[in-house]
Amino acid sequence: MAAQLGGKVTCTLGEVKNRADFIIYWGGNPADCHPLHFSRYTLTPKGKHVPEGRKGRTMVLVDVRETPSAKHADILLQVKPGKDFEVVTTLRALVKNQPVDAARVAETGLTLEQLQDLVDRMKNARFGVLFFGMGLSMTRGKHMNSAAVLALVAELNAYTKFVSMPMRGHGNVTGADVVMRWTTGFPFGVNLSRGYPRFNPGEFSTIDVLVRGDNDATLVLGADPGATMPQPAIDHLSRTPTIVLDPKVTHTSRLARIHITTATTGISAPGTVYRMDEIPLPLKPILESPYPTDEEVIHRILEKVKEKPAWTPASFKEVPCA
Amino acid sequence: MITLTLKEQPEVPIEAEALSPDVVAELGNDELRALPIFFGKRQLRLEEFFEVEGEASEELEIHGDASRVKWLGRGMTRGRLRIVGNAGMHLGAFMKGGSIEVSGNASDWIGAEMSGGLIRIGGNAGGQIGAAYRGSLTGMTAGTIVVEGSAGLEVGMRMKRGIIVVKGMAKDFTGLEMKGGTIILGGAELRTGAWMKRGTIISLTPIPLLPTFAYNCSYNPTFLRIYARELETLGVSLPFEESEGSYELYSGDAAVSRKGELLVWQPAG
Amino acid sequence: MLRITGGKVYDPANDVNGEVRDVCISDGRIVDEVAGADVRTIDAAGMVVFPGGVDVHTHVAGGAINFARAMTPENHRDAAKFIHSPELRAGVGGATPSTFATGYLYAGLGYTTVNEAAVPVLSARHTHEELRDTPLVDKSCCVLMANNELLLDLLEEGETERARHLLAWHLWAAKGYGVKAVNPGGVTAWKWGKNAKILSEPVPGYSKVTPAKIISSLAAMVDELKLPHPLHLHCNNLGAPGNIDTTIETMKVLDGHRAHMAHLQFHSYGGDDWDTLRSESVRLAEFFNEQPNLTADAGAILFGDSVTITADGPWQHLLYQLTGRKWGNLDVENETGCGVVPYTYKGTNMVNAVQWAVGLELLLLIDDPWRIYLTTDHPNGACFWRYPEIIHLLMNADFRRECIDKLPEKALKRIYLPGIDREYTLSEIAIIISAGPARALGMPQKGHLGVGADADVALYNDDPDRERMFGHPRYLLKGGEVVVEEGDIRKMVDGREYIVRPSFDKNIEEYLRPLFEQYYTMSFDNYPVEMERLEGADIRECG
Repeated sequence: MAAQLGGKVTCTLGEVKNRADFIIYWGGNPADCHPLHFSRYTLTPKGKHVPEGRKGRTMVLVDVRETPSAKHADILLQVKPGKDFEVVTTLRALVKNQPVDAARVAETGLTLEQLQDLVDRMKNARFGVLFFGMGLSMTRGKHMNSAAVLALVAELNAYTKFVSMPMRGHGNVTGADVVMRWTTGFPFGVNLSRGYPRFNPGEFSTIDVLVRGDNDATLVLGADPGATMPQPAIDHLSRTPTIVLDPKVTHTSRLARIHITTATTGISAPGTVYRMDEIPLPLKPILESPYPTDEEVIHRILEKVKEKPAWTPASFKEVPCA
Repeated sequence: MITLTLKEQPEVPIEAEALSPDVVAELGNDELRALPIFFGKRQLRLEEFFEVEGEASEELEIHGDASRVKWLGRGMTRGRLRIVGNAGMHLGAFMKGGSIEVSGNASDWIGAEMSGGLIRIGGNAGGQIGAAYRGSLTGMTAGTIVVEGSAGLEVGMRMKRGIIVVKGMAKDFTGLEMKGGTIILGGAELRTGAWMKRGTIISLTPIPLLPTFAYNCSYNPTFLRIYARELETLGVSLPFEESEGSYELYSGDAAVSRKGELLVWQPAG
Repeated sequence: MLRITGGKVYDPANDVNGEVRDVCISDGRIVDEVAGADVRTIDAAGMVVFPGGVDVHTHVAGGAINFARAMTPENHRDAAKFIHSPELRAGVGGATPSTFATGYLYAGLGYTTVNEAAVPVLSARHTHEELRDTPLVDKSCCVLMANNELLLDLLEEGETERARHLLAWHLWAAKGYGVKAVNPGGVTAWKWGKNAKILSEPVPGYSKVTPAKIISSLAAMVDELKLPHPLHLHCNNLGAPGNIDTTIETMKVLDGHRAHMAHLQFHSYGGDDWDTLRSESVRLAEFFNEQPNLTADAGAILFGDSVTITADGPWQHLLYQLTGRKWGNLDVENETGCGVVPYTYKGTNMVNAVQWAVGLELLLLIDDPWRIYLTTDHPNGACFWRYPEIIHLLMNADFRRECIDKLPEKALKRIYLPGIDREYTLSEIAIIISAGPARALGMPQKGHLGVGADADVALYNDDPDRERMFGHPRYLLKGGEVVVEEGDIRKMVDGREYIVRPSFDKNIEEYLRPLFEQYYTMSFDNYPVEMERLEGADIRECG
């Protein structure tokens, strides 16, 4: 959503490994959540243009508290919870040499001097990268926090080379996003009820639909909303027909009408996973499974659906609503 | 007048962009009953959801809790749409003229990308009032929206012209990336005026401000006096007398421009 | 079996120019005759019969377009909607259509072959997955190599032979059809925020490798590898005032090697800055006319909204700074990058007015229609489904003059178009939208209706409103199947994907393996695209 607002300046991870000399992690804890990040891409590897490895790099960690990632950082900036947007907006102004209110800056937990210093370092970097995690994208402000760092990075390119990258969650979130976009145009929250793809986060995104009970059936594949969503969503999943496809019996399975066990993708089922920088990697299964793959099950369901009469009225071809 | 009474709460939200004065103005009762309503993936007739009385009128009245009825008054250019009850998302989106009144609450996206007309909400509204849809460059470009109660996030996001009044509290990001126009608030939560380029936001109570807004002065601008008179006709009271207090003027958002204005009312004493 | 009868056939490759004759089809190919009860006859009276369209340069599948799709939900909202049905997939049109919609839109124009012009090897797998989901058209793709640092490092060391093996290995790893060069050296420089504007100046980080050296080396290698399609080249300094000099210099650097110059319109400007920008199409056409080794596509613009998508990263940063529109950038390690900026061409803007004229001027001034093809560098100049507007402008000088009259006064002194009376004939149109591109792509089975050709045939009403004519084919046949009839898609077919297998010394892999370990973040064994990823692969052995 943030990219839709103002664009996104990014690169693949190899560019970071080979060139980055200034790395910012904002609202993420790679030591725990992306354990190979430092050693593969950002801190220790000898890059083509950073042959000194760790010594050639400066790492800044911005977070609300000290995490295990902190001991890897050269600079720690502890921001007060819920103040990231204020900090990034201030940085945007400082990059352009615009005045800001020092007292209100201090309310963020960081001082004007600290932020000015950060701006100077960013501008003097040869190649800067800002990784942002869920501590930014999932806290108050949500997509606007992400949009803020994306805008900041785009603006830094007037001074030096700078890129940004989201630290994605587990599973193949990026892959789902990539495939949805090429097949429907939109990354997530796609509504097909009117016969064509429509997108409106907050109206059609999964959590909102389930919390409001806007749907009357749910098919869950490779996710466990029964474990992570607010209670009204869980209640709705219990009350309406819910079908789960998963290698394991999950929290959602326990609420569901039907659970179908499927083979584990990447271990018993082939496919493609898209890395956080959208690079496609092939999955080569190594073990056989007695269970069908997700793909097989969906195809079989689709065959049955095709036997039903088509439901799209011809009148859908008239100019529909946005 | 045409009166539609919602029979019962639909199991899933329904999309009813056909319910607009432009569409119904010339239709007979039978034709009204046959109007398309989209119910999930199905298309059904209006009469399956509403009792239908009257015909061929620019005055359309809907009775019932229509909070799950979306797109009422979409793109309307004339006439009067009245909802006695609550209204669903996208009320009056793309509206060009005419008026909409809701006695109860409204949902998100009211008056989104509108270019004329008047919307009044008797209760609370949701977020994204008069806003640009995701990715669009511009939100509302003309028209007036008045909300008696509170509002949600991103009120007036990317609006270019027009007036939005929220008498109660608005949530975060009111006036986000505003390009022009006026927003009047009873109060707001965080990040009001974030990244605004131009435009005026007036808050009748103190609000938290971004570090990128700079205090200019305290004053009683003359334009407000004239403005206040206009707003009276809409039932909106804007204080302006020196004896009552003055406005603190802040300009911002320095991250983007410094031509945006934020006026915060400070009562005297 | 099928017989198309009564239509005026335009098959310039076989010297047929509007003759009323039958076209017979059997087993997906054009044949001499068909007989028997099992023959469907299409009465083409009042229609013209063309070989199916071939788009030699477009951006429709892969990481860059998908990035653009992510950035522009507002475009999808305003675009044509494709409604799901038992035969058709749901989708959105616009500047960055979803993949199924892309196939439907091309078929809706009478096109049957599409060349995806820019594929990074690292994400080629993604491109092929999207091409699989693009129905109705045959496909090929060009693989980005002019900023591949492993290649440039070899050129720096003077190891041209090994560089050729590396090139061939990469082309096969990506399962590509041709080699693409974008802003040679410039995209490499962009990795440090710089550009490469002078052909003879070393690229930052190198002392011997210059853009000129990259261009001449790649062109030579492509010829040595005997690839069916020549080096596909997007010159340095795209879009910049005065870039005509770079373009002419580039053509000289090619020194007789084959090359296909992409979207030439963006490379034909005089002037010193935006205020003095003017057309240099005459100078370009004069020089180009004397280079028989070169082909080009127009890259014309049309007024309206579009999205610019290109591997030319530095240009996109500049466009963002000039316009303030949202900017997307994705640098691909060791290889290339892409930039995305939505843009609106306005008829009142002097620069855009000159650009509009230049595209048409090139098409009208370059003598040989076999060497200049109709494209808009979709979606950079305009969306491909607006090609019929350009056809109308080329065929109808009066209409063209009406449009010129609407241009700002200032622009008229900077362009040549008002003085050009030429009108394209239907035969010439058939060349620039089908026969010519097919020949440039080295696809002898495409772009003509001779015996043995693929039965890709488009039937249009012979309508004086050429925009309406070419925007609404009455019939489209793909491989002998009637896929479009009277505006409806009647049958779904999956196209083939054309790829080449160039020869290379297998030892190159031993050279590459340790470099991958050091510089890449994908393991060497995962890098090549598996054959199974492609649908209907058609392999052409080379060299």
